[in-house]
Parts: sequence; C-alpha cells; structure tokens
Amino acid sequence: MSIRLQLLVVALITLVLPWAGCQYARELESALRDSQERSLLASAGTIANALSAEPKRVFRNADLRAFEARGGDLYVHPLANQPLLDGYAEDWGNSKDLVTLPSMAGLRARVQVGSTERYLYIYVEVDDAHFDPEPNDVQPDNDLFDRIDVWLQGPDGKDTRYFFATAAPGLHAAQQWMKDDAASNGAASIGEAASIGEAPSNGEAPSSGDASRVQAEPRIQACWLQTSQGYHLEARIPLSFVGDRLWIAAYDGGAKRSAGFTPAANPEGGRLFFSTDGLDALLATFIRDGTHAAVIDTNALTLGSAGSVAAQPAGSAEEGGMSWYRTLVEADASYLPPPAAGSGPADGRPGGDVARIAGRPTALSGEPRAQWIRGEDGRMLLSAAAPIVVDGVARGAVLLEQNAEQMLALRTQAFARLFHLTVLATATAMTVMLAFAAWMTFRIGRLRDAAEHALGSDGQIRLTMPESRSGDEIGALARGFERLLARLDEHTQYLRTLGGKLSHELRTPLTIVRSSLDNLESQGLQEEQRSYITRAREGTQRLQAILTSLGAAARVEESIKQADRSNFDLRELIASTLLAYRGGFPDSKFEQELPDDPCLLRGAPDLIAQLLDKLIENAVDFCPPAGAIRIRLARASGSFVLQVSNDGPLIAAWVLPHLFESLYEQRSGRDDKPHFGLGLYIVKLIAEFHGGTARAGNREDGGGAVFTVTLPMI
Amino acid sequence: MISLVKKNIAIVEDEPALRENYSAALARHGYAVKCYGNRHTAMQAFRTHLPDLAIIDISLEDEAEGGFDLCRDLRAASAELPIIFLTARDSELDAVSGLRLGADDFLTKDVSLPHLAARVAALFRRIDALKRPDNAAELIRRGALAIDGEKMQTTWKASPVTLSLTEFWIVHALARNPGHVKSRQQLMDAANVVLDDNTITSHVKRIRRKFQQLDASFDSIQTVYGMGYRWVE
Repeated sequence: MSIRLQLLVVALITLVLPWAGCQYARELESALRDSQERSLLASAGTIANALSAEPKRVFRNADLRAFEARGGDLYVHPLANQPLLDGYAEDWGNSKDLVTLPSMAGLRARVQVGSTERYLYIYVEVDDAHFDPEPNDVQPDNDLFDRIDVWLQGPDGKDTRYFFATAAPGLHAAQQWMKDDAASNGAASIGEAASIGEAPSNGEAPSSGDASRVQAEPRIQACWLQTSQGYHLEARIPLSFVGDRLWIAAYDGGAKRSAGFTPAANPEGGRLFFSTDGLDALLATFIRDGTHAAVIDTNALTLGSAGSVAAQPAGSAEEGGMSWYRTLVEADASYLPPPAAGSGPADGRPGGDVARIAGRPTALSGEPRAQWIRGEDGRMLLSAAAPIVVDGVARGAVLLEQNAEQMLALRTQAFARLFHLTVLATATAMTVMLAFAAWMTFRIGRLRDAAEHALGSDGQIRLTMPESRSGDEIGALARGFERLLARLDEHTQYLRTLGGKLSHELRTPLTIVRSSLDNLESQGLQEEQRSYITRAREGTQRLQAILTSLGAAARVEESIKQADRSNFDLRELIASTLLAYRGGFPDSKFEQELPDDPCLLRGAPDLIAQLLDKLIENAVDFCPPAGAIRIRLARASGSFVLQVSNDGPLIAAWVLPHLFESLYEQRSGRDDKPHFGLGLYIVKLIAEFHGGTARAGNREDGGGAVFTVTLPMI
Repeated sequence: MISLVKKNIAIVEDEPALRENYSAALARHGYAVKCYGNRHTAMQAFRTHLPDLAIIDISLEDEAEGGFDLCRDLRAASAELPIIFLTARDSELDAVSGLRLGADDFLTKDVSLPHLAARVAALFRRIDALKRPDNAAELIRRGALAIDGEKMQTTWKASPVTLSLTEFWIVHALARNPGHVKSRQQLMDAANVVLDDNTITSHVKRIRRKFQQLDASFDSIQTVYGMGYRWVE
C-alpha cells in the first residue's frame, strides 16, 4: 500500500464532517420546529382567548346542540362565491363535502348544502341512470317520474313541501306541493318507498289529478343535469324561505326507489347548522399570510374560517433540486402523524377543509395541541388547535394551519449550505492530503532513485543526494545516505589507489632484493649458486611485472591528465596498429573493416593506441586458437564507432555491468600474465577522455563478445 | 676506465640496505662511494667537499621532497656536477620536476645495478669528453640534427638541446638509423633502463617538446602506432 493510498484512507476520516453537519442540521431543525409549534400554539391560544370574550359573535346558537348526521342534520357550508346553477359543484369552492343519504330499495344519493349571504344552495347527486321525465299536467301522487323532494321549515316554523322534476334536463323552477292537510300523509307515504306508487289507492285518491295541488315557485330555481351515472340537481333557495330545518329525499319513479329524509320519519332531524356571520372577517384580523384559521363548534363544524395556506412563491423553485437534502434530513420523520390519521372525515361528519386536523378532538375537550401534517398536495403544514372556553365549558376550538414550506425551504437552504461547506472542506482536506502524499512520495521516490543510482556503472559514487538540505526526516535520511556514501567512496578510493600504492611501496623492498642479487652475482659464484640466483631473479622480474600492471591504471590516469590533444586520422592509426598486432600475435587471425576515407579525430593518439592495445589484448586472450578477431570502424551520427569482436565464450549478463570497473577480473587464469581487471577500465578512461563511451556485449550471432567504443567526431 | 684518482660518488638514500647495495656495486666499479641517510648530513658533507657525482632519492626520511631541495642546493653549488635521481617514484610529474631542477638523469629503482653503473660511467664520460678537444669521430649528422656520441651532446640547427641521459640515448638510437622503426623495448635497451611503455611514451613526448622549443616545426620523431618510433628527415 503506497503512502499515497494510506494517506487517502486516513483522509476518509474527514467524511465525519458532513455527518456531523447533518446531525447539527437535524438538531437545528428540530429546535426550529419546536419553536414554530410553540409560536403557532400561542397564536391559537391568543385567538381562542379573544374569541371566548365575545361568544355572541362566534356562536350563532347559544345552545350546545348535538349534530346528528343520521337524523338528517345538515351542515350549511359557507360559500365564498355564488355558484352558477349548472348542475356541477365544482364552483362551490374547495369545500365539496357530500353526505350520503340513507337509501331505500338501493337508490343511492348524496347531498351537500351551502349558503351565501342571500341564498341557500342544495346540490344532489343521484345514481339513477334511467331518466323518467315529468309528465305534463303532473299529479305528483300518482305519476311515476324522477323527482327530488324538499321540505322546508320556514322562519315561521311552518313546513312547506317542494319537489324538483322536469320533462327535460335543464333549468326549471321548483314546484310546491299544495296539499295542506295531506302533506303529512303524503310525506308519510313517501317515507315508505313501496307505498309511493300506490298513492291512488290511498284516501287521497279522489284528489289526484287536481292541478291546484301543484304550483310553480319561480323564486326557487334549479338545474337538472343528466350524466351517465344518473343526474345532478343544483338548486337555489332564497334564505328568506329557510328556517331551521330542511329534509331532502330523492325518488326514482321508474324503479320506485327512494333515498333521503322526510319530516315524517325524522321529525327531530333535518336541522341546518349554519356558520356564523361575520366570523370570517373577525378571524381575518387575527392572522397573517400563509396561515389558515378556522373556528369549530363542539360538533366540529366550521363556524368560520379565514386565510389560506397557499405556498409562498419563495423557495419553491429550489425545491426540486434540494428535495434530496430533505430526504437525507427527514430520515427522522417521527414527528409526522401516520398518514391515515388526518385524512378526511372518516366518521362521516362533515368537516370542511379543517376536518383533517387531528388536533381537533383534543382541542374540543380542552387541550391545546400542535401537529405537523402533510397536505394533499404534499406540502408540509403545521397545525395548532386551542379550545374556546366560555364559562368554563369548551364551546369550540380555534384551528390554525400554517404553511411550513417557508421554514422547510429555509432549513433546506441552511442544510444545503452546510452540506456544501463540509463537502468543500472535505474535498479540500482530501486534496491537500493527496497533494501532500504525492509530494512525499515524489521526494521519497527521488531519494530512492538517487540511492539506486548512487553507484554508477563506472564505479563512481555520486556523493550528493537530493533532499539533503531538507530539515525533516527525509532530509535526515538523505544525509544518512550521504554519510554512508562518503564512507563507501573513501573505501572505494582506497581500493582504487591500492594497486598504485602497493606497486609503489613494494618497489623499494623489491629493489633491495634485486640489487642484492646483482651484487651477489658479481661475487664470482659457482654454477649451482648461479642457477639459484637466476631463479630468484626470474621471481623478482615477475614481481616487477605484477607491480607494473598494478600501477598501470594510476599511470594512465596521470598520463590522461597531461595528455595533449591533436588532430589525427583514426583510420590510419588503427591500420598501422593492426599491422603491428599481426606481427605481435602471429597465432591470431585479424579481420578489419575500415572506412575508405580518413577519419579525423581530435584527441591523444597515444591513448587511443593504448585503448586499442587493451581491447586487442583482451580479444586475443578470449579468442580460441582457430577464432578470428574482427576490428570494425564506422561512422554513426556524429561519432566514430570502433568495434572489436572476437569468437569465443559469451559474457554472462551479470558480468556486463561490471566489466569496465577498476579491479574487476572475471577470467580464470589461462596464462601466466597477471590480470588485475584494469585493461577495460583503462579503455573506459580513455574513451571518456575523448568524450565517448565504452560498451561491452555479446555478438548478435552468439558467437562471441563485442566491445564497442564510441568516439565523437571533431 | 683508466683513472689514477678514484671518482667520488655520493649516494643520498634513506633505505640502508639499498644504500649499501648501491655503494657496494659502485665501489666494485672503482668509485669511491660515500653514503648519506638524509638531506641534512649530506648537505653538511657537501659544504666541505663536493662529490664528482651525486645519486639522490627524492623522499628522504621524513622529507617527502628532500631530494628536490638537495638537488637545487647542489646545482647552486656547482653547475657541472652530474646529478642522478634514483627513486621509487615513477610519476611523470616527479620526472619532469627532477629534470627541470637540473638533474642529468632520472632513474626509477627498477634499474639494475649494471645499468646503474653504465649510467654513471656514461655521465663521467660525457664530462670527460667535454673537457677534451673536439673529436668528430662519433658525430652523427641528420639534417639539422647533430649528435656528439662522445660528449653526449645534441644540437638542432646548431643550438644545443639539453637532454637527460635517457633522452639522449633515445634520440641517439632513433637517429642512428633514420626511417627504421624502433620499438619501445629497443629504446629501453638503448637507454639501459627498464621502463614501461608509458614511460617511454612520456620520454619521447618530452624530447619532442625540447626540440619544439627550439624549432616549432620540429616533426622528425614519428610515432608508428603499435610498433614504436622512427626518425624521419
């Protein structure tokens, strides 16, 4: 594992930063949420207190009536705008809240009641695919046609029965059932679906067909809309007609089915629960933008509402890009209620748009409560509920809903910034560490390379190391290397000069021996003694030769220092030298390959001749008796290339790098001549003196060795 | 060698065994030999009486270059006194320094005793010849070169060339047979020295330089690579 990789792994620890940032963001968010909950709850409490001081402006009825949906009680939705009489409830605002009517013989019908300042609106949906038109000259008791009956208890407490029916779908007026005495009977008969069709068999049969019993009421208008499922009826009744109670029933003339409530069956039901006039405006004074407030009574029916939780344009634009931050933070979503908890009026109660607020029941029992909910459109909302207590009794509750998107956006933004910062910090730390690691690796690598190449192929030691001036451990290591190399170099120098020193130091004792022998010889010896002298002299001569070879390198180095350069013809030098070798080594076969024209070289011809001597001597030594020695001179890109090759054994690969080193000798003694491995060292010295190089290798044909000397041209 | 008076030779050499061997050999050849172990004792003796020839080692006891100083002092005392350096030091630099200080020859200790005796005799002969009137018998003339074998004197275009004994014999051997290639070994034999090839090369180089000081166009000693040298006219 490289240092770079190791440091990178260590750098991974900086990933803790984003994690810590994330934790911090969560805690911050939780604190924010808390404070917002508290603040909204406080607002709700304030509003509730203010309202409880004026119960008359809040509650339309002073009594605590219980809302009985099964008894036919209806909640009158406050409508912001007057709906068009078109058979569609889409323009009733967003408070479409249909109540299913109790069914007889399977007729399904749903109803909703709403009011503006002047009119009461009724919207009914009936699943009756077969349309039975109203006949001309209708006799409602006898004729079998589709109709919707409405009983109105007027402000005077008197019940009036109307019905809506039409010959063709469209706008029409309601018709009043003008049978004063029989009203209750007729109503009773309608309560029994089976008996409706048998109206003629009743006691009222003689009165059937009496046109005076049906009278159009043009002030009550309705629109009949036929759909594939059945039909819709949207009716408009002036509020002056409306008292406290209203019953609605649908009748399918074709199948003799009905659904709904009648005064006969539900005399205590059919009550209308209105919202409180002016409460909306009152509430609006309490709230700010982005907040929705509502007041409910003990039946959880909305008495008034104001404001909306419409999302502010700010922040929403970024939402798409930042939603993933939120998913990261909202791993902890425990503060959200389970999805089913607040989803609509599961208990069948009409509740308007605040019905989903789960805090409602507790608030009605006197406990303020705040709650986070997710709206139908996925928006986050914060709701709070506070009870309105009048005379120690919880009469209702104030519900506040606030759009939490703004806070969320703020949080998301803060989190994104934090995240970006930590990611940036991490990336910077990693980059810096990586760069640092790269720098360290580079330095160590440089040191390693220098250490590897400290001992050159020429045996020279490079004493200076990179990094040795650095003050750190790598610098110390480099300096340690330098000290080691210096000592090694001293030793190498000692070894290199050992030959010369030995040759010098041994010369005096050798001279003593030899001069003694000389003197001895002149003493007039016997023949036997003379032979000993001769042997001793031979010994000294060999010793002399050894000492001379040992000192050869030192002398060459010296003569190189003092060599004079001149221009000379290398080709001629080689040719004439070869002539001498042919004479000097009559047993060897020489082949030559020289250029045709003179090869002018600047240098010391004596040294070049010596170089050639060493190469030829070397080749002759290794060449087998029948082998040939090839001398080749050629030009190659600004240099003369001199090659001396010989048949014979190959040079082992591990020997090659050391061949030109001083005192490197790899031959087994084949002759009497002493070898100190200086010949090729001298070749290298001379080649380098001429700015050239010396190389050893094996011939491509594998038949022997080849020595190549490159000498730059003038 | 017929001489009524024995020639005095002083040997200044710090190695006693070597000193005795040289002394014995030279005495055998009829010289009166005095030996000194260091520069101080030698100089003390030379102040009262100068020898006829001095053989000096370069390093003397604790003086690494004591021989050079001694040579300088001797040469100051006498311009004609023949001086031979006989030393274990064979570097080019030492040879050049010694000869420049006025030594007549520079021998390494490789030289054999008979060779040393021959050198000494040759030097005395040169001195004797200088004292005698001219004798053209041994004169060799090769163009601008004139060599007096008796006096061991060399002139180039009538100007004397100051050659050491070894150098003189090398020039002599080359000029005697112009055009003939003399190998290094032959030159060593002629000069009565045992030298390695490099030393011969540097001797030749020095000879050339001495001639070139007189005549920059001197080119008569030619190198035959791989074989040796020859004299060309």
